[in-house]
Amino acid sequence: MRTLLRWAARLYPEAWRERYGAEFDALLTDISPSFGDVCDVLGGALRARLTSPANLSLETAAGSSMTVRLPVVVSLTAHAVLLVFVLAVAVHYVTPAPPRVFGTPAPPPTPDPPPTVTDARVFPSALTLYSSLPLAPTKSEVLPLYVANGVGINFLTLPDIGALYRRGDAEWRVWPGQALESFIVRRVLPEYPRNATSAGAVSVFVEYLIREDGSVKVLRTAGPALFTNSARWAIERWRYRPLEFENRPCQVVSRIEVRFDGAFVRHETP
Amino acid sequence: MSDPTILILASLAEGDKHGYAIMEDVRAFAGVRLGPGTLYGAITRLEERGWIRAVKSEARRQPYRITAEGSLELKRQLALFGQVVRIGNRRLKEA
Repeated sequence: MRTLLRWAARLYPEAWRERYGAEFDALLTDISPSFGDVCDVLGGALRARLTSPANLSLETAAGSSMTVRLPVVVSLTAHAVLLVFVLAVAVHYVTPAPPRVFGTPAPPPTPDPPPTVTDARVFPSALTLYSSLPLAPTKSEVLPLYVANGVGINFLTLPDIGALYRRGDAEWRVWPGQALESFIVRRVLPEYPRNATSAGAVSVFVEYLIREDGSVKVLRTAGPALFTNSARWAIERWRYRPLEFENRPCQVVSRIEVRFDGAFVRHETP
Repeated sequence: MSDPTILILASLAEGDKHGYAIMEDVRAFAGVRLGPGTLYGAITRLEERGWIRAVKSEARRQPYRITAEGSLELKRQLALFGQVVRIGNRRLKEA
């Protein structure tokens, strides 16, 4: 508080400080300062500046001396500069109103063109109706088969990512299974049917929908019923993290091949 | 009676005092605490009017002495206050 008092005392005019500064400082040392004292000193400094005898003599054109107090000159100059600044800001701040135009109204603005898709594989302009394609393996690529106890999973490649899939009134987008691998939370492998007689490899194809909440619904299957039932039972228990497209929840369709191979089945003995 | 110039003149009428002594004396006899800014504002005005003058001193605490003009002004002010006090008391008794 005493430091603050001394700082406030510096605001007195220089002439005043030369005359009273030392004894005023001694007084500030003697007293127990309070916040009221700081305000009192600030007020005293302001009064001293306004009534300071430190004068500025200006010579008029006639040669006579005109006495003007320096703080008053400084204050008036500062206020004038501030006023000019405020006026300048105000003039630039007020936006002039547009001129009124009489006659035919202006045509409505043309809408922005749709965004251009640069990658032809993503949302192609000629959308393929995947719902009308046969459920069969693609020949473009051989994907690794995930095999466990005679059952393997093969995600089918889908050349058109995001192509349209329509069923009744519903429309979904097609997404390859590999791209959804990072979204899967739970995967249940189909079991090789116990009453199956075929010892060779049997492939079934499953087309499934991933709902907004990540649950799975099988749309179509292709293959022997004994094996498709096993695949359907397992795949409908899969769970994905909810998918989003353009920051909105979405449902997507994917396809999978499930291969059953009796040669690799290890039947558990009771 | 809260005019600091009169209070300071009344304090110096007793004898020479520096700023802190004036502050304590005024607090003792008038119950008014003069802030440092108020005190030295009044001292400045009193000195400009020639009612007090600084006494030569080697110490940092500068003592002040009331001048003859200051004593005259104090008497004039006290007479005025005395008149106000008398009239006020009389009117209170009449009421």
